[in-house]
Amino acid sequence: MADLNQLPGVAEQLKLVAGLRWNLLKNNLQSKNNRWDLIGMILAAAGGAVMVIGLCVAFYAGTYFFLTRGRASWMQLLYWAIFLWWQVVPILVAGFGANFEFRNFLRFPLSLRAFYILGFGYGFADFAAVSSLCWIAAMLVATAVGRVELLPVMALASLLFVLVNVTLERLIGSWLERIFANRRAREVLVGLFVLSMVSMNFLNPALQKWGGRETQPNILQLIPYFSWLPASLPGNAVDAASNGDFQGLAFTFAGLLVWLGATSGLLWLRYKAQYLGEELSESGAPARAKRGNHRQAATTTLPGFLSPPVAGVMRKEFHYLTRNGFSFITLLLPPVMVVFFSMQFAGNNSMVKEHGLPPQAFFPAAMAYLILILLSPAYNSFAFEGRGIQSYFMAPVRMRDILVGKNLFLVCVVGLELTVSLGVLIWRIGFPGFPLLLSTVAAAAFAVMGQLTIANWSALSFPKKMEIGKMKGERNSGVAVWTAFGVQILIGGIATVVMLAGGWFGKPWLPVAVFAGLTAAALGGYLASLDPLSSLAERKKELLIETLCR
Amino acid sequence: MGEIAIRTEQLTRRFGALTAVDGVDLRVNAGQFFGFLGPNGAGKSTTIKMLTGLLAPTSGRMELLGLDFQQNPIDVKRQIGVVPEGMGLFERLTGSEYLHFVGRMYGLDGPTTVKRTAELLDFMQLADREKTLIADYSHGMQKKLALAAAVIHGPRILFLDEPFEGVDALAAGALKSLLGRMTERGVTIFLTSHVLEIVERLCSHVAIIHQGRLVAQGSLEELRAGIPGAEGEKKTLEQIFLSIVGQSGAEQARLEELTWLT
Repeated sequence: MADLNQLPGVAEQLKLVAGLRWNLLKNNLQSKNNRWDLIGMILAAAGGAVMVIGLCVAFYAGTYFFLTRGRASWMQLLYWAIFLWWQVVPILVAGFGANFEFRNFLRFPLSLRAFYILGFGYGFADFAAVSSLCWIAAMLVATAVGRVELLPVMALASLLFVLVNVTLERLIGSWLERIFANRRAREVLVGLFVLSMVSMNFLNPALQKWGGRETQPNILQLIPYFSWLPASLPGNAVDAASNGDFQGLAFTFAGLLVWLGATSGLLWLRYKAQYLGEELSESGAPARAKRGNHRQAATTTLPGFLSPPVAGVMRKEFHYLTRNGFSFITLLLPPVMVVFFSMQFAGNNSMVKEHGLPPQAFFPAAMAYLILILLSPAYNSFAFEGRGIQSYFMAPVRMRDILVGKNLFLVCVVGLELTVSLGVLIWRIGFPGFPLLLSTVAAAAFAVMGQLTIANWSALSFPKKMEIGKMKGERNSGVAVWTAFGVQILIGGIATVVMLAGGWFGKPWLPVAVFAGLTAAALGGYLASLDPLSSLAERKKELLIETLCR
Repeated sequence: MGEIAIRTEQLTRRFGALTAVDGVDLRVNAGQFFGFLGPNGAGKSTTIKMLTGLLAPTSGRMELLGLDFQQNPIDVKRQIGVVPEGMGLFERLTGSEYLHFVGRMYGLDGPTTVKRTAELLDFMQLADREKTLIADYSHGMQKKLALAAAVIHGPRILFLDEPFEGVDALAAGALKSLLGRMTERGVTIFLTSHVLEIVERLCSHVAIIHQGRLVAQGSLEELRAGIPGAEGEKKTLEQIFLSIVGQSGAEQARLEELTWLT
C-alpha cells in the first residue's frame, strides 16, 4: 500500500506545474548556447510588449470612438480581431510539432477534473491569450471612460468571450495534437500550410482581375450569417445594450452561453479521451507489403560511371527529397514564383505595365532569385540525416564521395528547375535572344558552382539538425545563414557586373565567355576542395554526430 | 596463439577535464566472441566509437586485423561491421532502401546488394515491412535492421553495442545462432551489453572497463580463477563483475537506509 495520506488538491497541483515550468525555463537558460536564446527572448519580449501596448492604445481609441460616436455595432470588428489573433497565433507558434508535454502529466494521479482545469489553465499562459486579455482590458477601460453605463454588459460579454476563446483554443490545440502525432498527417499539413502561404501571393493579382465592385454585394450578403459566431456576439451585445434592445441582449448572451457550453463540453470529451489513455501513436499499423517488390525497386540504377557510394548517396537524397513535404514543395515553387513575378513585374500581362522590367533585367533577376532559394539547403546539407550521419563515418568511404553525391543530386535538381523556369519565362515574356539566354544559363552555372565549395564547408562546420514535418525552429544555423547571404551577395555582385559589362562594351556575347571562364575556375576550385573538405569532415565528425544525433 | 583481430595500446580519450578512456590495452583474437563490460559511464561506448571510427582518440594506437586504424581507416572500415549506439539509421528510408544504400556504401555491386538485402530481410523477419519507413519501425525492428546492415558486406569483425535490446526472444535466438555461426567461420564479434547472462552465454572472452580503465581481461575461466571463493564453486559472470567493479557492501548499506521501501 502506498504511503499516501491524501492526494494534493487542484490548487496544489497547479502550483506544482507552475513550479515545474519555471524550473525547466531556468535550467534551460543555464547552458551557454541558451544564453543567446535568453537575449533573443528578452529582445522578442521587448518587441512583443511594445506591440501589445501599442495595440492597447488602438483598442482603447477604437472602443472609445465607436461607443461615443453611436457606432457600437462596429465593436464586432475589435472582437473579431482579438478572436482571430487568439485562435490563429497559437497554431502558428506550435509550429506543426507534436507537443506531448501537457499529456505527460497523466502519469501522475490526477483526477479528470484536475486534468481539465490544468489544461484550461494552460490556455491563459500563452502570448496570444495574455495579449488578448490586455486588449480586452483596454476596451473595458475605454468603456468605463466613454460609456460607463455599458460597462456591466461589456464586462460580462467580454468574460464569456474570454472563456469561449480559451476553451476553443484548447479544443483546437488538443485536436491538432492528435493529428500532428501522426507523422504523415503532420507532413501533409505542413505542405498544405506552405502552399496556402504561397497562394496568398496570388490574391492581389486575382483581386485586381476578378475583384471588381460588382462582387462586393455578394460578399456583404454573407455578413448576417457571421452574427452568430462567437466573435460577433459580444459586439452585438454591446450594440443591443446601447440601443436598449433587451431582447437582442438576451439572445446574444444566450448565444455566448451556448458557445461556451458547446466548446466546454467538447473540450471535456477530448480531455476525457486523453485521460482514458487515447492512443497517440506516431505511426499507424502499416499495411503488409507484397514480398519481392524490393527486388524491382532496388534495381533501378543510376548511370554506371558513378561509383557505388556516390550512386548510393544520390539515390538516398532522392528518397529523402520525395519524403520531405516542405523540400518537395520548395522544389515546385520556383516555376510558380516565376509565373507570379512575371504577372507582377514583367511581360505583356504585367499588372504594372509602366514599371514592368525588361527581359534584359528580368531573366537574370529571376534566375538569381531561384538560385537563392534552391541553393540555401546546401549550406546545411546534413540537416535531415539524423542518426544516419554515423553511417557515413562507419562506411569505408571518404567524405568527398558523400559530398559529390549530394552536390551532384542538387545540381541535377537545380538544372531541372532552372530549365523549367526558363521555359515558363520564355512563355510568359518571350524569347530574349540567344546572347541573353546563354548569358543567363552561364551565370546560373557559375552561381551554382561558385557556391558549392563554401556551402560544403558551411554544412560540415555549422551543422544544425532539422526534422521533416516540423516548422518551428527549423532553419539553418546563424553562421550558415550569414555565410550563404554573404556568398550570394558576392556572386550576385560579380554576375551583375559581368552582365552589365556586355551592355557597356556593346558585346552581347562577352558575359557568356566571362561566365564560362568563371565557371571553369569555380569547378577547378570545387574539385581541389574535396580532399581538404574530407579532412575537415574527419576533424568535425564529433560535432556532426553530436549535433545531428541529438 | 591465433591472429589478433583487435589490439589497442594506451588508448585514451579525454573530453576536456574528463578522461573517459584511460590508457586501455585491449587484445582480441580473431574468431573470438568478446564481451566488453562496464558500469554506466565506464567508457564502453567511447571505446567502441573509437574502434569503429566514430570518435578520434586523444592518444594511443588502435590496430584492427593488423592494420593501423589511423593510417588505414578506409581499409579497416571495409572489414568491420557496426551496430552503434543509437543504431545510425536513415529513418526516412525503407528497410530495403537502407540495406541497399549500406551495401553500395561498402562497395557491393548492385545485383549482390539486392540479393543480400532480400535474404537479410527474410532472415530478420522484416520482409513484410520492406516498404515501411524505418521511422515507423518498432525499436526491436530497427535493431534487427541495424544488425542486417552491419553484416551485409560480410565483415571480419562485428561491433555490437547492446544488440539484443528490444529484440523479441524469437528473433534474439535466431540472431544468436547467426552470430555463433559467424564466429565459427572466424568472424570476431565485439559485444557490449548490460545483460550479463547474455554475455556469459555467448562470449568466450571478456574485458571489464571501470572509470575509463581496463580492470580485467581474459577468458571467463581466467576471470573466475582470479576471484576468491569457495573451492569448486563456479562463479557467475554477474558475481565476477560485481566483485571487480561493484561496491556491494556500500550498496547494502544504502539499501538499509530505505526502510520505508524495504
